[in-house]
Amino acid sequence: MADLIIENLTMRFAGVVALDDVSFSVANGEIFSLIGPNGSGKTTLFNCINGFNKPQGGKIYFNGNNLLERRPHNIIDSGISRTFQNVQNIPFMTVLDNILLGSHSRIDTKATLQRWLSQDQREIEEAMVLDIMDFLGIANYEQKYMVGQPFGIQKLAEIARALVSKPKLILLDEPAAGMNDQETREIANIIREIKEDLGITVLLVEHDMNLVMSISDRICVLDSGEIIALGEPEEIKNHPKVIEIYLGETADA
Amino acid sequence: MKRVMGTLIIIGLLAVGCVKRAPAPGVTDTEILIGNVQDLSGPMKELGAVIPSGSNMYFKYINDQGGVHGRSIKMLIEDHQYNPQKAVAATKKLVEKDQVFCLYQIIGTSPCEAIRPILSETGTPLIAPATNSGTMSDLSRQAGDLIFHTDTGYDRQAEILVGYILNQNSDAKIGLVYQDDDYGENVLEGIARAESEHEITVQKESYQRGAIDFKGQTMNLLKGGCTDVIIAGIVREPVTVMKTAEAMNYKPNFFGTGPTVDARVGKLAGSAGEGFTATYWAHMWNSDAPGAKLYRELCEKYDIPEPYIGLYHYYGFATAQLLVEGLERAGRNPTRKSLVRGLETLKNWDVGSFPPITYGRNDHAGVDKVQLVQMQNGEQVVITDWLE
Amino acid sequence: MKGRYEDENLYWIPVLIIFVFLLPFILKGLSFSYKYYLFVLNMAGIYIILNVGLDLLSGFTGLVSLGHAGFLAVGAYTSAILVDQFGVPFALSLIISPLIAGLFGFVIGFPALRITGMYLGLTTMGFGFIVKRMIIAFREWTHGSGGLDVSSPMLFGYTIKSDWNNYFLIYTFVIIAVIVGRRIAKSKIGRAFMAIRDSEQAAEAAGINLSKYKMLAFFISGIFAGFAGVLFAHTSSFISTDHFDILLSIYFIIMVLVGGASSIYGAVLGTLFIVLLDNLFVPLLKDQIHFWFNTQAGDIQSLIFGLIMFLFIIFQPMGLYGMWLKMRIYWKLFPFNPRQRFT
Repeated sequence: MADLIIENLTMRFAGVVALDDVSFSVANGEIFSLIGPNGSGKTTLFNCINGFNKPQGGKIYFNGNNLLERRPHNIIDSGISRTFQNVQNIPFMTVLDNILLGSHSRIDTKATLQRWLSQDQREIEEAMVLDIMDFLGIANYEQKYMVGQPFGIQKLAEIARALVSKPKLILLDEPAAGMNDQETREIANIIREIKEDLGITVLLVEHDMNLVMSISDRICVLDSGEIIALGEPEEIKNHPKVIEIYLGETADA
Repeated sequence: MKRVMGTLIIIGLLAVGCVKRAPAPGVTDTEILIGNVQDLSGPMKELGAVIPSGSNMYFKYINDQGGVHGRSIKMLIEDHQYNPQKAVAATKKLVEKDQVFCLYQIIGTSPCEAIRPILSETGTPLIAPATNSGTMSDLSRQAGDLIFHTDTGYDRQAEILVGYILNQNSDAKIGLVYQDDDYGENVLEGIARAESEHEITVQKESYQRGAIDFKGQTMNLLKGGCTDVIIAGIVREPVTVMKTAEAMNYKPNFFGTGPTVDARVGKLAGSAGEGFTATYWAHMWNSDAPGAKLYRELCEKYDIPEPYIGLYHYYGFATAQLLVEGLERAGRNPTRKSLVRGLETLKNWDVGSFPPITYGRNDHAGVDKVQLVQMQNGEQVVITDWLE
Repeated sequence: MKGRYEDENLYWIPVLIIFVFLLPFILKGLSFSYKYYLFVLNMAGIYIILNVGLDLLSGFTGLVSLGHAGFLAVGAYTSAILVDQFGVPFALSLIISPLIAGLFGFVIGFPALRITGMYLGLTTMGFGFIVKRMIIAFREWTHGSGGLDVSSPMLFGYTIKSDWNNYFLIYTFVIIAVIVGRRIAKSKIGRAFMAIRDSEQAAEAAGINLSKYKMLAFFISGIFAGFAGVLFAHTSSFISTDHFDILLSIYFIIMVLVGGASSIYGAVLGTLFIVLLDNLFVPLLKDQIHFWFNTQAGDIQSLIFGLIMFLFIIFQPMGLYGMWLKMRIYWKLFPFNPRQRFT
């Protein structure tokens, strides 16, 4: 059964077409990658799903809910969380608190307010984060301020923040950008584990072809807001149009 | 922890034991300490330097002659930036920390109002607060019995002005431009009394403190057909109103209360300010009154720089005379109580700087009359006798 | 699990509280002008309460307010009118007046949904002026700009008068305010505030309703300021429009910045630092300068104050709390890695 359904999505910014009649669906439990050259509309698509951008036409359904009717802060309640292309952490908060931020909608306001004089509520909140931090291997960093932490840790912390809300679908916007080969391999493992161990559907935007090809179940190629190809990695690799506009470019470089 | 506390407490007890208190705060064998809070860095800072300089000149003159009962007078000045909260802090410092004998000349109505609790709590008298506000001499207010006001209240000034205007021209239609703060509030009180006394209505136009545009108010006065306009402003306000009126070719008689007697009003307004009449509660500094003569003598003797000499510098000098008189009457071993009692014995006290001042147990108002000072050919000329 | 995630050592807090309540006795022992010091501390205490709220708004949420003297005025005048003219008990006014100030905050919060930064600063500054105009307009209750005498606080049948008694009243509430402020800062709400400041996108993606939390920040901040206002009115026993000047609002922001924005302890330190500097240290230094150079005149006080602030901002942009954290980390790591700092 299809989890995320995108139908005829069209988004224009002052005459520039960012997304042109895009339709696809992401099945439950798969890793679905969006690739394409810069400015092809990948992040715009994320922002539409996330409610930051309001598309002019089309529909987005997730588990039968119309996402376009929701305001950005309600998207997470329907089980979708995301990370950002440029890391969006809160520098003067500890890594732990940054991750706890993701559990915002899971924490009962009354409980925080009523029990703020005791340590209990805090422990409940931290228990939510513990597993995720151990899962991502950043438990040592909990009490460190986010500012000044290595880029890799910041990236992982952001993923942790997206995971802590217990989503059904996670949108990862270029998780491997700016990382070296080893870190990229780690990220690949983590994404695989997110799918396999946590059972979360992954919608991935990534430029690193090796990463995309090695972990994706299906790949969608966007160019100038249009879908050029959609299929399994092997198909995409051999798709003539893709080779021409995308892989061709990288081959030249 | 316990041991530290214990030590501290012992040190504390020792310290209490060691401190000897003088019989009256601020009085030693050679010196009397008085406290003054001025606006040294706020909106009225021009006066903050000038007024105390006038007072210090007279203190120096007295100290050079051997002081009061052999004690020289020393004045401490603090800054309140025309903020009542800062005035309270500064006064607390003077009273609690520097242990001044009495307070003198604190400038501004709201600062003076704000320090009333300190006065009543410590019994410190406040001599000659530098504000015209009539509330200062209201004995029913907190610490009213400790404040000795010299100046004619704004309310009295406005009342007298209305009476004077109606006396000159019984058909006069009077307009009032007032600042919507404590100053204006006090003027309105006087106007209200005058209204009921003479059975007239005064057209009232208010402006915000710091306003620079008076076109609306002037236009309203013109429309209302006011023949005489009282401006309860400071310096810039009367100047702007008169210039605006001149530009509109509207020529009523202009009058002013309180600080508008400043010589700069006429200078800045130029031709528009010709004939501007202000109330003044003391003798002019350049008049022939004995106090004013002494003032000019001392200015020369102590080389006071030219820009200082004038109305406000003289005001500091004149109130200093009152304070020194009070200290004289407080006796050889002055206490705060004896200072209050001493001042209350003043009966028609006249050294020719203020009109005769009388204080009593039920009267701390000082001067309650004014003379009118008019701009004629760019000079300030006294045009009336003392009006009551 | 406890211990591992304990973010602060709480054992020294009772010690600090005991110290706060012993301080007047120590001061009384040390100096005969202790009343003056207590008065300065009382003033600092009232400002601390306000600045904890201002820090939550401007430091944590990043919504600059230049109108907090306005909230202080609302709290002060509301309580003065309620207690003295409508006979509401002081204890009840302690609850009602802050709520009314909070409602004002709520209303001011509306423009904050659309505008940020300097423009919000200007808007809130406008609020400060509006409050002044309102006080003058409602002269029936407020005596216009003539100022209002306020009765001393009455609690449990006792009238609290004098700096000595005020100290205990004010600092009881200071301690409560700091604890409550710190708890808010460390809860889900505080995290949401900081997230809004640093990344509205990340905040929204995490499920934070921006409008709701911005309004909440103004509301909470208004309540703290209103509370400070009630104490201000009844302990200073006279209030007027001159008290709530725009300069005071700017002072508040400086206090929060000097302490180090987005830390409740920072707001406390910053307030103490500025108030003590402005009222104790600088006047003493000024007296000394007058003594050494045998002069009287001049506004040396503002000059010294400005100079110290200037040097402070240049050399300690992280604020006092940042300085303390740096020091703590330095000593923790001491012989081994003194170069690793708080970054």
